[in-house]
Amino acid sequence: MTRHLKNLRAAFAQVFTYPSYIALASVLAILAFLLAVWFPNLGLIGGVFVSNAPLAAKLNVALSLLGGIGTNFSLFSAGYTIAIAVLFGITTAMIVYLLKQRQVAAAKQTIAIGSGGVASGVLGIGCAACGSLILAVLPSLGAAGALAALPLNGEEFGLLSVALLFISLLLISKNIAEPIACPPARTSNAQQP
Amino acid sequence: MPIAELSKVMMAGLILFATAANAQIAQQNTADAALVDRVKEAVIKELRESGAIDRAVDAGIGRYVERQRAEAAERERREADARSATLRPVSGGRDHIRGNPAAPVTLVEYSDFECPFCKSFHSTVKKVVDESNGQVKWVYRHFPLDELHPVKARKEAAAAECAAELGGNDAFWKFADRFFELTPSNNRTDIDTVVPQIAREIGLDKAQFAACLASGRHDRRVEEDRQNAVATGGRGTPWSIIVSKSGKMYPLSGAQPYAAVKQIVELALQEK
Repeated sequence: MTRHLKNLRAAFAQVFTYPSYIALASVLAILAFLLAVWFPNLGLIGGVFVSNAPLAAKLNVALSLLGGIGTNFSLFSAGYTIAIAVLFGITTAMIVYLLKQRQVAAAKQTIAIGSGGVASGVLGIGCAACGSLILAVLPSLGAAGALAALPLNGEEFGLLSVALLFISLLLISKNIAEPIACPPARTSNAQQP
Repeated sequence: MPIAELSKVMMAGLILFATAANAQIAQQNTADAALVDRVKEAVIKELRESGAIDRAVDAGIGRYVERQRAEAAERERREADARSATLRPVSGGRDHIRGNPAAPVTLVEYSDFECPFCKSFHSTVKKVVDESNGQVKWVYRHFPLDELHPVKARKEAAAAECAAELGGNDAFWKFADRFFELTPSNNRTDIDTVVPQIAREIGLDKAQFAACLASGRHDRRVEEDRQNAVATGGRGTPWSIIVSKSGKMYPLSGAQPYAAVKQIVELALQEK
């Protein structure tokens, strides 16, 4: 565990010394958060934005719906929704860093786990107590009753998402802090600078 | 010269001519192919350098994106049409209406008595209607989520209908207000205690109320409401549709804050 934390610290120090990666992580986290809060009402927002209402009214609708994080989420689901958004932003920025270092193979594994985390997060988003995407998905899979059997009524998907995104963050930190490459040989003949 | 010799010489001449002609054609073909290759290379080089290929690719992508957008808009329009076709018209005889029945804006809410978000949204909509000066009416329909709140949500919806049957529209709203006030939601309601208590508080006949509840005569109506909620696009509760005077619909999912509901009501009021 200490090694993972050490890797995490080292990777953060390496990636986020560049302001561009801080900006990328922040923008992605904000976008993920907006998407999560607006998710149940994307149809309404789309309809309002293509209508002939004044721009100020359109923006007011979109902004006021952000208040849904306080009214349409339990404290628990709001917490993991914010955690998913932040982890998504950080992990994606670090994947971009890794890809730029040409470590494509290492990035692929993290992308795979991270994608699972995001997919799981989408299921757990929103009003998990009273139905979200999960209520639309489970009956179509013939598993409507499964929701009642889940002790947290579907909020498990949000927790799973946080766990998967955190695992992918640890993996990517390891790949950044301990790159898979042959270290230069240290021989007595090696030239000193 | 004898004829036999003459024909031999002519045959040899013909063969020689044919061979020479073939050689010339082959040479000509090789030259043509080389010319075609050179022209091809020159054209490709010109297209690359002038950026024409890039522009053509960009235009192709642009057309594809535009096509996707148009399809999405068309899909959205079809969904909106389907929603307006499926929303059961509001009827004073059947629906529970709060506020001015002639109000230009209607908020149809599909709700579940065991949903904690419906509980908080109930007071939000109440505030919007109370402050609207008769501009908004509220229609309450049932959407019990059996997957999350088995048995209780449906039974409570039927109890609210019994309150309406015995005490009219006012009794329905009194029952709903008091129920959300008293109960903890998430299927934790002690239904056998709370429901008779509310019936007593709002002045309903205890025996008649119990008989109505036991008869199950409102179960079908509750199911019809639920089916209508799903048909209009409801996937969770509270699910609301705000309808302007002109019939334009604004679907609203979840317990959104007062400011958001008010904004959408304002938009609906501006729709003539």
